[in-house]
Amino acid sequence: MVAPPDNDVLWARALHVTHNGSPALTGVSLGVREGEILAVSGPRGSGKTTLLRCLSGQLLPQQGEVWFNSSPVHTMGPLVRERLRRDRFGWIDPEPHLVPELTAWENVALPLMLRGGSHRSAKPAAQEWLERLDIGGCARKRPHALLQAERQRVAVARALVTTPSVIFADEPTAPLHRADRAHVLRTLTTAARSHGITVVLATHDPELAALADRAVTLLDGRRVKTVHLPDTDAPPGPGPAAGAARASEAGTAPGAGPGAGPGPSDAEGRAACSLSV
Amino acid sequence: MLALRLARGAHPLVQLRRLLVAAAAAGTGFLLLCTLAYAMEHPGAGSVLRLAWCVAPIAATVYFAVAVARTDPGTRPRAGLSAVGLGPARLRVLAAISTAVACALGSMVALLVFLHLRGDLSGLPFDGAAAELLAAERPLPLAAALTLLTVVPLAASATSAAALRPRSAKAGGVEEPAAPAPAPSGLPWGVALLAAGLAVETYASGRGGGPGGGLPMPGGADGNPAGILAGWALTALGLALAGPGLTYLCGRVLQAARPGAVRLLAGRVLQEEARRIGRPLGVVCAVASGAYASAVLYAGPRPGVGPLTTLGALLVAGCAVLTLATAAVEARQSRADTTAALLRLGAPATMLRGSAALRAGALTTVFAPLTWLVAELAALPLGR
Repeated sequence: MVAPPDNDVLWARALHVTHNGSPALTGVSLGVREGEILAVSGPRGSGKTTLLRCLSGQLLPQQGEVWFNSSPVHTMGPLVRERLRRDRFGWIDPEPHLVPELTAWENVALPLMLRGGSHRSAKPAAQEWLERLDIGGCARKRPHALLQAERQRVAVARALVTTPSVIFADEPTAPLHRADRAHVLRTLTTAARSHGITVVLATHDPELAALADRAVTLLDGRRVKTVHLPDTDAPPGPGPAAGAARASEAGTAPGAGPGAGPGPSDAEGRAACSLSV
Repeated sequence: MLALRLARGAHPLVQLRRLLVAAAAAGTGFLLLCTLAYAMEHPGAGSVLRLAWCVAPIAATVYFAVAVARTDPGTRPRAGLSAVGLGPARLRVLAAISTAVACALGSMVALLVFLHLRGDLSGLPFDGAAAELLAAERPLPLAAALTLLTVVPLAASATSAAALRPRSAKAGGVEEPAAPAPAPSGLPWGVALLAAGLAVETYASGRGGGPGGGLPMPGGADGNPAGILAGWALTALGLALAGPGLTYLCGRVLQAARPGAVRLLAGRVLQEEARRIGRPLGVVCAVASGAYASAVLYAGPRPGVGPLTTLGALLVAGCAVLTLATAAVEARQSRADTTAALLRLGAPATMLRGSAALRAGALTTVFAPLTWLVAELAALPLGR
């Protein structure tokens, strides 16, 4: 077992995951540096969500290693991983998934209370984060009375309220319109930068990936250097999903991670490219 | 055919629920056939009353069958089926068919057991074990038997089709948080009916309906004035009506005064599920208090309880308890999304279980003493 590089908060090596026999990740390696915003981009079905679930300890890879701050996540028991998620990680789903019985501020305060915080201390913290995300007026409303963009912002506040080490955002802006999309993402990245939170952002939208410090591209469960889509000016929805992705190793990747391992994964990436052309 | 195909591929637990419905229908069908046999043996006024007593097990069976049809995953609106045009309206038909199939299976079993015990079917142990009790020497009127046996399947499937009628245009797969359910309003009515029932009962027993003055009870313990029975019915109705309101109040108290995560979730969920859980819970309490009162009634120097009365009582009690369990399963199914989201947040599974245990404990602390009190008050006039 090789010890991971010291400056990486999260580090994964040669992850292999199959969902019921069909391969989802085949030999993906990457490192996430402390405090950076890393975009994991790629079309639908390229294994972004699976990668995020592996990194956050929700899913154990069949092969490969995941290290968080020099502790091995892949060997932890389910209870330890659960505590790790609760104490160190935040998670944002594509859908808000708020608890419908609780008001907005109670939803935001829930992670604090799950960590054992008291009602008295959780309330002002939740209120403060709602104010910061411009939805302080909705604090007493239940999710059914909120707009979808407001709900998603509540979900972002819920992930930020504990100021975790890493936030995993799985297509956090998928159900939103473009204006809301930019706003939600800007608030997330600003808050993350000001609090030194590392963000791993899965997105199929190249525009959103451009907001990140660094981008990692997945294609069919493999890591590739860059993906040239046939028509980048086209609206971002159907283009990547059509899967007519052409990858070339000649393009300049915006900084390949140090843990990225130029050996096997690149070769596999090339194999994927030649297949997909 | 689609109903059968969907039924064949279901989870074993779902099959078990359907099997329990079939068992309840079998028990009720057997009771009805025994009533028919009694009527053939004693053509008189008593048999109509016996048939009337069968209404209680029939109602309990239908209630349980509807609860199972509600929880059946085959009848839930699904995005895939909705897309091919099998929306809530068609699924209602499927639910009615599968309920009818389960109940008809039970009725068949009841008929076979009945014929077997009469001695019409031979080759197995207990051939004709109850031949004289079941009027074996007379030919069985086939039309009457079949009419009685179709009562439960028809009633159950019609009720489940009515209960599952699409309430809103919400198709499956669309995830919109539902508006919070308003507070149940039945509590004052329930309390009023409860009080009225107890008063009627006490008044009727105070008037001293002498032996033989009223409706005969099953199992031969006759001599109870109709007033007491009416009082019992009112009390049971009151408990069933008050159940949701009391459950809502429980939830409200649980989440009051600066709750932590466990109390907050337990209380709010109880408030949300008040209607779903509260009604069967009220029915269980009503049945329990009735059981207590009848235990007091039959403990006296009166004739013992016959096997058919025991069967009927067991059917009613079992259906009530199973309906409560099914309602709990339904509540859990409807909250599966939220539970998954909470687990992704890192909520410990022990916390979720603790919240569920807290809910159950709160309901028990409220409903157990209430049931005991109502049962004591209801049994008070009977003991004299």
